[in-house]
Amino acid sequence: MSAGYQAVLWNRQKKRYDLTILAGILLYIGLFVGLGAALRPEATPETLIIRAFGTLALLMLHVILSVGPLARLDRRFLPLLYNRRHLGVSMFLCALVHGAFSMIQFHALGDVNPLVSLLAGNPQYASISAFPFQTLGFVALGILFLMAATSHDFWLANLSAPVWKALHMLVYVAYLLLVLHVALGILQTERNLVLIGLLVGGFGWIVTLHLVAGFREKPGDAPHRGDVIDGYLHACAVADIKDKRARIVCISGERVAIFRNGDTISAVSNACQHQNGPLGEGRIVDGCITCPWHGYQYEPETGASPPPFTEKIPTFNVRVVSGEVYVDPEPNPAGQRAEPAPIRGSS
Amino acid sequence: MLEQIALWFSYALVLYAAIGLLFAVAFVLVGVNRVDPAAPGSKPGFRVMILPGVAALWPLMLLRWAGGKQPPVERSAHRRGSAG
Ligand code: HEM
Ligand code: FES
Repeated sequence: MSAGYQAVLWNRQKKRYDLTILAGILLYIGLFVGLGAALRPEATPETLIIRAFGTLALLMLHVILSVGPLARLDRRFLPLLYNRRHLGVSMFLCALVHGAFSMIQFHALGDVNPLVSLLAGNPQYASISAFPFQTLGFVALGILFLMAATSHDFWLANLSAPVWKALHMLVYVAYLLLVLHVALGILQTERNLVLIGLLVGGFGWIVTLHLVAGFREKPGDAPHRGDVIDGYLHACAVADIKDKRARIVCISGERVAIFRNGDTISAVSNACQHQNGPLGEGRIVDGCITCPWHGYQYEPETGASPPPFTEKIPTFNVRVVSGEVYVDPEPNPAGQRAEPAPIRGSS
Repeated sequence: MLEQIALWFSYALVLYAAIGLLFAVAFVLVGVNRVDPAAPGSKPGFRVMILPGVAALWPLMLLRWAGGKQPPVERSAHRRGSAG
């Protein structure tokens, strides 16, 4: 959490994860170049490197785009989601190797400015079969760079979450550009049927997965209706909430997470201050609500991160009457203490 | 024509990036401590890590530095509703 920035907040799981990424990259490149050299002795090392890193980057992009919807469909994918940024930066670096080698190989050896050669060397922007597909790769690489360069939490805080999110939604633009980059490129180089099949299959997979996860997400956001006592809105029964867990109910235009902490009930706004992670899908660990996305913590009764951290989220006053939980729809200012309600509350 | 545009584009890009890099060095050493209370005392690793982004988004960070801005807190329905 933000009490001083670190380059990377390392822990054992992240190290294992990053080592796995690195091993995967080395294995893929080794196999691709090794097999390529054995099966196609006529291919130059540069060509093999360009193709190995290009296809690897695209493969990694598919994994990255799949992780979000997969985690929504099945919680076991969540650990992949937390560390998606490292995968993203690795993917950018692979794409950069591909782009840089292509630039050197095809555009930097003449006496024309390499960028001019890339953008204007083939002026057939009106053609499909001869389209300068490299330009699409260049624009996509620019987007991937911006995303990798702003992946640190510093940017999330300083650009604000909505702007940061909008910026990172550009990944879908980059993906479309890359599908075209590869499809139009294939038309002009070797018409590799395997690659075409993989490209079409991958595109279908990404679209289907997003549609399915999108439909799953929809319900549950209608404003909650219930009986009202003294201005407090009936939310759920105490028995509906497992200990150290929450129920999520939509009140006052947003989701509220109602937690049970042993013998008491507390309610906070559901959105984590870090990146709007769903706090109500997390657990109470060591007395603190712990965000399921990256582990930011908040005290249930105050909505404040334990010192030295400074994050604060709005809290809600709650009451328990005859085993039923009632929530004051008026949010308290972020970080303001709300008395936890004993579950054997007044009747 | 296309070649002319590409040429000017390449010059503009190089100029933008060069200014960005110079600015970014000053920003990560000094400016960042002014605009973000979590930054003072952070290690070189963090400063190097944000450098490429500062070089790319330098006009934005220049404005924040010049205006002495602090990181914004998102305005959600609950935060507005509580006026807190
Ligand atoms: C400056 C940016 C880029 C340039 C100049 C560029 C250039 C090229 C060139 C010349 C080819 C044909 C290579 C060949 O068939 O021998 C190619 C293919 C390809 N590119 Fe790019 N590219 C760029 C960016 C990207 C990015 C960002 C990605 C993916 C993340 C990507 C993925 C691919 C893939 C998957 C292929 C097909 C590989 C193959 O031909 O077997 N490219 N690119
Ligand atoms: S969203 Fe990152 S910790 Fe909550």
